[in-house]
Amino acid sequence: MSVQVITGNHAAGYALSAAGEANRTSRGTACGIYPITPQTEIVEYVAKFPFSKGRVVPVESEHSAMAVTIGASIAGARAFTASSSNGLAYMTENIMVAGYYRLPIVMVGVNRTLGPPWNIWADQGDTLMLRDFPWLQLYCEDSQEVLDTTLLAFRLAEDHRILLPALTCMDAFIVSHTQTETTMPDQADVDRYLPDLDLPHRMRYDEARTIGGLAWPHEGLSMRLEIDEAMKRVPDVYQECRQRFSEVFGRDPGDVIQTFGTEDATQILIVTGTMATTAREVVRERRAAGEKIGLVKIKMFRPFPEGALREACATAERVAVLDRNYAAGTGGVFWQDTRAAFQGHRDDLLIQNYLTGLCGEDVTPAVIGDILEDLSERDAAGEPVWMGIDTTKETLQ
Amino acid sequence: MIEIRIHGRGGQGGVTLAKLIATSRFLTGQSVQAFGLYAAERSGAPVQAFCRYADEPITNRNLIYEPDHIIVLDPTLISAQISAGLKAGGWILLNTTQAPEEFANDFSHSRIATVDATTIARNNDLGTRSVPIVNTALAGAAGKMLGIPLTEIVAALEHLGFKGTNITAAERAFGEVRLLDSPREPAPLEDFTLPTNTARGHSILDSASMAPPAIETGQWATEQPRRQQMIPPCNHICPAGNNVQGFLDALARDKTDEALEILLRSTPFPSICGRACPAPCMDNCNRIEIDGAVNVRQLERFAGDNGKVTLERRGARDEEVAIVGSGPAGLTAAYHLARLGYGVTVFESAPEIGGLLRAGIPEFRLPDDVVDREIDRILDLGVAVRTNHPVNRPALLELAGNHDAVLVATGQQALRDLQLGMNGVDAVVQGIDFLDHVHHQNVRVDGEDVVVIGGGNTAMDAARSALRLGAESVRVVYRRTRDEMPAIREEIEEALEEGVVIDYLTQPVTLHDEATGGIRRHYTLTCRRMELGEPDASGRRAPQEIPASDFDLACHRIVLALGQSPDLSVFPEGTEVREGTQLLGLLETPVFAIGDLATREGTVAAAIGSGRRSAARIHTVLSGESLPITEHADASRDVEIWKDEVIHADAMKLHLFERQAGTEGESLPVSKRRSTFDEVHMGLETPAEAARCLSCGVCNECDHCVTYCPEGMLKRVGHRLEFDYTYCKGCGVCAAECPRNVIVMSHL
Repeated sequence: MSVQVITGNHAAGYALSAAGEANRTSRGTACGIYPITPQTEIVEYVAKFPFSKGRVVPVESEHSAMAVTIGASIAGARAFTASSSNGLAYMTENIMVAGYYRLPIVMVGVNRTLGPPWNIWADQGDTLMLRDFPWLQLYCEDSQEVLDTTLLAFRLAEDHRILLPALTCMDAFIVSHTQTETTMPDQADVDRYLPDLDLPHRMRYDEARTIGGLAWPHEGLSMRLEIDEAMKRVPDVYQECRQRFSEVFGRDPGDVIQTFGTEDATQILIVTGTMATTAREVVRERRAAGEKIGLVKIKMFRPFPEGALREACATAERVAVLDRNYAAGTGGVFWQDTRAAFQGHRDDLLIQNYLTGLCGEDVTPAVIGDILEDLSERDAAGEPVWMGIDTTKETLQ
Repeated sequence: MIEIRIHGRGGQGGVTLAKLIATSRFLTGQSVQAFGLYAAERSGAPVQAFCRYADEPITNRNLIYEPDHIIVLDPTLISAQISAGLKAGGWILLNTTQAPEEFANDFSHSRIATVDATTIARNNDLGTRSVPIVNTALAGAAGKMLGIPLTEIVAALEHLGFKGTNITAAERAFGEVRLLDSPREPAPLEDFTLPTNTARGHSILDSASMAPPAIETGQWATEQPRRQQMIPPCNHICPAGNNVQGFLDALARDKTDEALEILLRSTPFPSICGRACPAPCMDNCNRIEIDGAVNVRQLERFAGDNGKVTLERRGARDEEVAIVGSGPAGLTAAYHLARLGYGVTVFESAPEIGGLLRAGIPEFRLPDDVVDREIDRILDLGVAVRTNHPVNRPALLELAGNHDAVLVATGQQALRDLQLGMNGVDAVVQGIDFLDHVHHQNVRVDGEDVVVIGGGNTAMDAARSALRLGAESVRVVYRRTRDEMPAIREEIEEALEEGVVIDYLTQPVTLHDEATGGIRRHYTLTCRRMELGEPDASGRRAPQEIPASDFDLACHRIVLALGQSPDLSVFPEGTEVREGTQLLGLLETPVFAIGDLATREGTVAAAIGSGRRSAARIHTVLSGESLPITEHADASRDVEIWKDEVIHADAMKLHLFERQAGTEGESLPVSKRRSTFDEVHMGLETPAEAARCLSCGVCNECDHCVTYCPEGMLKRVGHRLEFDYTYCKGCGVCAAECPRNVIVMSHL
């Protein structure tokens, strides 16, 4: 174990490679890779990694990258890849296939604005567009969380009670290209944490069969239900994986939601990713000044941690959901799911949506302050509020 | 917590500098962050990087708006705005040669440090000359400024794998950085307000917002395209000094008159050279590397035969120039001097002017009316002619006495002989004399076996003429191989087509009278077989006799075509006759030898070149004005770099040209040639062949560059190319797509 100053991309590349290498005593590792800013350094890292068993296949597109990864996974390899933004959009058909095949693939998504207009900066709209697919989604705040969560994602995805692919996400540049001190686990510890992959429906050379061929409606229905059952098991299995992680690495990879000052808060900010760092500091200062404000960082988006969220907001009267994404025609994606989580449980709770940091805008302490001010002055929730831009005058009628 | 903002240009290593400073703090146990602000930039674009360090964990993930310190990597980025948000009393470290005091007014609330990191980086070979990588030097300077010991900066460098000159650069900058430790105005700054912009940006539906962003991308460039011109090999090699590329370009645009006008700047004889020139331009044509040379000879003929140009004298001058000899050199000099306005008189010993143009080249290659037409163009300029006027030594002195300048262009009159043991026999005739008889139609060789000795154009012309005059057989005897023959390659081929037999590696030895009682006298020429040995002084392999290899040829007539040499009897003994040398040195009047007499080059084209150069030289002597010696492509096309070098095929992008076979033009069928002196070649019907010219090294406005410029910043305005360097990123696509090496990238 050593501490190094590295970027989020480096952390992701290291975690994927160490996890792949840990399967060397079984079917090894294999994956398809294709570059796109700002995740290119991840696939460059895995392409250079001297795997003992397996290979990394550079292909001509994201769609093929996932196709190769699916093939590798179904043959029993520990398979992974990475992409971003429009690359994920192009990969989408096969992303869905990986989920319905129940393959424990781990993908790192670097959250970048979908174009046009062309934009390389942070926005979660790309991975959130995959929200209805059978994938686990985990959002991270810094390099350490990226590294730890990526390793955890393999154990969680490969657990026989789950067997679903997992997506680890980080904000473009703010995590992917920012160098901070990060604790790097030794391979031996990764080997201990990630036992050989044992895929129950693995394709074998001597047993020809078809997976995912035509299924009659009732059989299809059955498989959908199995996915729902697996998703429902995730919170418990996650805690087991988190516990085991702490035993092996001596570090908590973090709960599905993480709270700060919620125990007595009447107003709570619900945030994700790097916004959490800034918001936590603002909350710390406000609490020091005596305000009863709390913070919830949502780490796991799929499955959505409804129960934990309700518990964390037990004392809250008002909740602000900060979304670094915009689902056209409604508002923020995290806001929609938060409202659903409280509906019928806490109909008295004021849940207001703030769209902030879209297209890579910097979410500063001043922005968080403006949100808290708006929230405290409200009598009732309203339309999602666009932060940092004039909404009083429409440009084109 | 300390926050540092770094301003630099892409490629200078700003993000790495942030990481170096962060690492030096990380190694002492502090919490750190280092990151860049990325966009679609590339080398040279202004970029920012950031560094934070603190004893406690860092809880800020924003950009840095109110830095404690600022570092500027590039001198061109230094401005008052660069310090926006800098806290009062903070350091600003500038990469500059200037002293910190010189910036005290600009950054009056700041402490200022300066270091010449660019020179330190260059001296340590870090980066390239245009983009030196200054980050390691600035790490050293920043260490000194921030109170970080040099050992900790070096430790950070080594931790990140830097060694050698990078460490030297950091150490030097640590020692050399100059610090101005107290701000000029110690009063605190007003509170900084982070500028916020909540105004609407562009709408994607608004057509007005579709204009390219006003980012002056030209400042990213480390290279810029420039217009270059080089010398095409045809222009370089042309003995006459013709602008070959220029007239071909005009023909390619179907401007025949313009093509002729370009040719007439250097040569008065395009129709003649278009028939009789050995055309070294074609041997040196870069198109050979694709699909064969451009047929320059026939295109020159096309321009000469079809173009219409009215020539005018350039003013009138008082000086009178005498020219002795009316071959191509003398007439070319007369032509240029007359156009310059001089009075010119040509003295010719023969009854008609033209010299070897008339008598030396038979009609089937160069018809008389073509010669007449081009000579008339010269005479129309007002050149006076004295025929039947031989000039001996006293006469030359007299001409020098009553003219302002004299040019002697008597060519090579002395004929080389061969001792065959039977001199004075009527049947042995000099080739030049034979061709003169042919020209005056007072010789027939019906039924004869003719042997021609020699390998030059006179030998070929004599042999082909003999065939047309009824010879039973014609053999050419030459002592080397075909490769060494000085004759024009095409003429050798045509002679063979017509039935001439060539005995290579054959040396005539003796001639015997054959005492037979026939109508004609019959001779036996004994010849000896030769082989090629080591190269001689001319660079050609010298023929050596093969012992006991003699054989006999029966013949009725022998034509000697062994070459000529100048007749120098008109000059005092020992006079060194070379072009450009003043002869008769005691006289003030310039007297120059020109053409074959001076150069011995032996072609019409060389004679034209000599005549032209000599006319220019006389003009300089008489007027003091210098004229260009060679015609090159018009420089009015906004050439920025005149590269005085020949462009060879390897500098051309030949793959960008389509293959297109050349055009020969029609010829008289071989079956008809033996019975007529009609011209063999009929010439081209159109100038389309000129479009095959690659225009090597000279812009012909193909505009590939304009088409392919990804920025759309390259435009053609008339004959000029306009580069908008405000937006040119220096990508080099225009240069990559220029087939002829006209667009070249130049380092800034």
